[in-house]
Amino acid sequence: MSEKTINKKKENTFIRIILKLVGNEKWQHITIPILLILLSFIAASIIILILGKNPLMAIYNLFQGAGIFPKPSYAAHKSMLTDFLSLLNYMTPMIFASLAVAIALKGGLFNIGVSGQMLLAGFIATITIGYSNLNWGLAKPLVLIVGMVAGGILGGLIGFLKYKFNINEVVSSIMFNYIVEYVLSFFIHSYYIDPVSRQSRYISDASRLTLVNVELFGLKMDISIGFIIAIILAVVLKRFFDKSRVGFEIKAVGANPKGAKYAGINVGKTIILTMTLSGVFAGLAGVTYYLGYFASIQPKTLASVGFDGVAVALLGNTNPYGIIASSFLISIIDRGSNYMNSMAGVRKEIASVITGMILLFSACNAYIQHKIRMKKDKLEHVAGKEHEE
Amino acid sequence: MLDTIIIDGLSFALPLFIMAIGGIYCERSGITNLAIEGLQGFGAFFGALWIVIISSFFNIPINKLFYLALLLSMVGGMLFSIIHALLCIKFKANQVISGVVINILSTALTTFLTTQINSLVFGELSDKFQIGTSVRFSVPLLSEIPVLGAIFKNLYPFEIVIIVIAIIAAYVLNKTRFGLRLRACGDNPHSVDAAGVDVYKVQFKAVLVSGALSGLGGISFAYSISTNFSPAIYMGYGYLAIAALIFGNWNILPTFGACLLFGFARSGGYALAQILKMPSTFSDLIMILPYVVTLLLLIFFSKTNRAPRALGEIYDKGKR
Repeated sequence: MSEKTINKKKENTFIRIILKLVGNEKWQHITIPILLILLSFIAASIIILILGKNPLMAIYNLFQGAGIFPKPSYAAHKSMLTDFLSLLNYMTPMIFASLAVAIALKGGLFNIGVSGQMLLAGFIATITIGYSNLNWGLAKPLVLIVGMVAGGILGGLIGFLKYKFNINEVVSSIMFNYIVEYVLSFFIHSYYIDPVSRQSRYISDASRLTLVNVELFGLKMDISIGFIIAIILAVVLKRFFDKSRVGFEIKAVGANPKGAKYAGINVGKTIILTMTLSGVFAGLAGVTYYLGYFASIQPKTLASVGFDGVAVALLGNTNPYGIIASSFLISIIDRGSNYMNSMAGVRKEIASVITGMILLFSACNAYIQHKIRMKKDKLEHVAGKEHEE
Repeated sequence: MLDTIIIDGLSFALPLFIMAIGGIYCERSGITNLAIEGLQGFGAFFGALWIVIISSFFNIPINKLFYLALLLSMVGGMLFSIIHALLCIKFKANQVISGVVINILSTALTTFLTTQINSLVFGELSDKFQIGTSVRFSVPLLSEIPVLGAIFKNLYPFEIVIIVIAIIAAYVLNKTRFGLRLRACGDNPHSVDAAGVDVYKVQFKAVLVSGALSGLGGISFAYSISTNFSPAIYMGYGYLAIAALIFGNWNILPTFGACLLFGFARSGGYALAQILKMPSTFSDLIMILPYVVTLLLLIFFSKTNRAPRALGEIYDKGKR
């Protein structure tokens, strides 16, 4: 055998191994994202290596900071469990925001206005319930309801503008993001500002969706009520899209609006419904963010989680279960970055670079699937030929 | 007072306009471009980075490097737009998603690199590159005309550059063979293919043009608004440019009108706040003017709008 064919053989075995790992189409919706995540971490490691730091240690620190691996030492009343519970607390708005993006994507719409809907929902829930004297049994459910309604109205309005005036939902939701951001900043600065923190005044403990500093087993932990709701709603949403008629109609409009119209589906109504539903979830993200993870609103800032939600939804393949898994991962990267910064000396801004790269690779998901199929066909062809010889 | 409205309005409208032209090139070729925001930021970052490095290593006063900064920003925007081109054309990714990905990646990457480079190379903790102030000039004679003379008063040099490039861009798009092919790619790519032209190549060039023009717009904003590069450059003006071009029905001249409208709505609003002696918190309410105007205008004009027919569709040679 000549050297060339040996090299080719080697190359083929390498491709075969990769194909063995990700070639099975039944598992591709899990294996390919894992491959993409690995690629992003490798790319990030290269950057860290160039900076002269140890990438493995840095990534390990990342997981330590997020409460996945134990840290060498803890402050009083803290342990790995408290870190882990804060991770879940941090993750809750992200799940809701990503589900909001995913609902819109299923319906062929792109809701880039999740941040604005979150802010509106959080603000209205804060001034109506957060500053009231209601007891917790009444306040907590009301916060959720107010948030859902506020988010749903703004989302529905975007859908209505698209249906009635043919305004691209991307443009209108971006405009609404800015309008909400500035108008609410005006109201917060004028009426609700805390002069010390330069944020809105803190909400009452009764209305907060996260139970902070709960003492249990000698530890002080933050327990997120929203997290449980998020998991339940993710399961409901999965059933909704798989089994229900309305869910099917949304998917049909998303896949082919003309075809859906011929099939007798009211496309306009479905668009408004999709955006409303997406807004409802964005509203939930808003209340769990501003009245859960935080207890006040920082004026003139949109929550970046609304934009990260796009990344998470795509990484999770717009599947609610996938979204829970990918929120978990992205939250670890975000939460662990501070600890990594102090321990490994790698700037915490790299966390969002890693997220960006995961996103970049996951945008090529369809292409990678296609390539793998092509390679597989080709290899089978070659193998068949060799067999003949 | 009227002078400031016109001067500030123009210096805001023109960078917006050049980014919108880039967007028109990209979208007329059939590729949706939501990446303008990220491209302008990365372009400005790239230009600012190199002139800061050059000025500190060769001891050149940074003000002298103005034109170099414009040029390098165009290069930077173009380099970053390659990602969009590859994702949309080669990897056949969803074009809307690709645009958003680029915006997120650009924000993350420039923030990280700016702080990192500042601490590694210059040994300071800062997320800004100081790029110095731009000179401003007035055209003699013309600037003395009452009222309208303000158009020629206190100009930034980049405004002239932008107008020259805009005229060239309009000519190329509407009068040359390349422009015709580009427009055809957005409406009926199969006919372009049948005429023996490589659709992918035309689209690739269009995306690169949009990257370069976005970079120019980005650095212009850096000069006119803040005299530094910092992550604060992601103010959403890229999205405003997209709104302008949709409002302008993907044509260059009406888009110019839309940009002027945004510019004057903004500077007029600030002037109004000063006249009425409103407290500073009201400036937030004035900031929403361009966005509200956009929404209202879109409500009136979107019905008659017609996007390029094949916009956002992934061109597939085999599909007829």
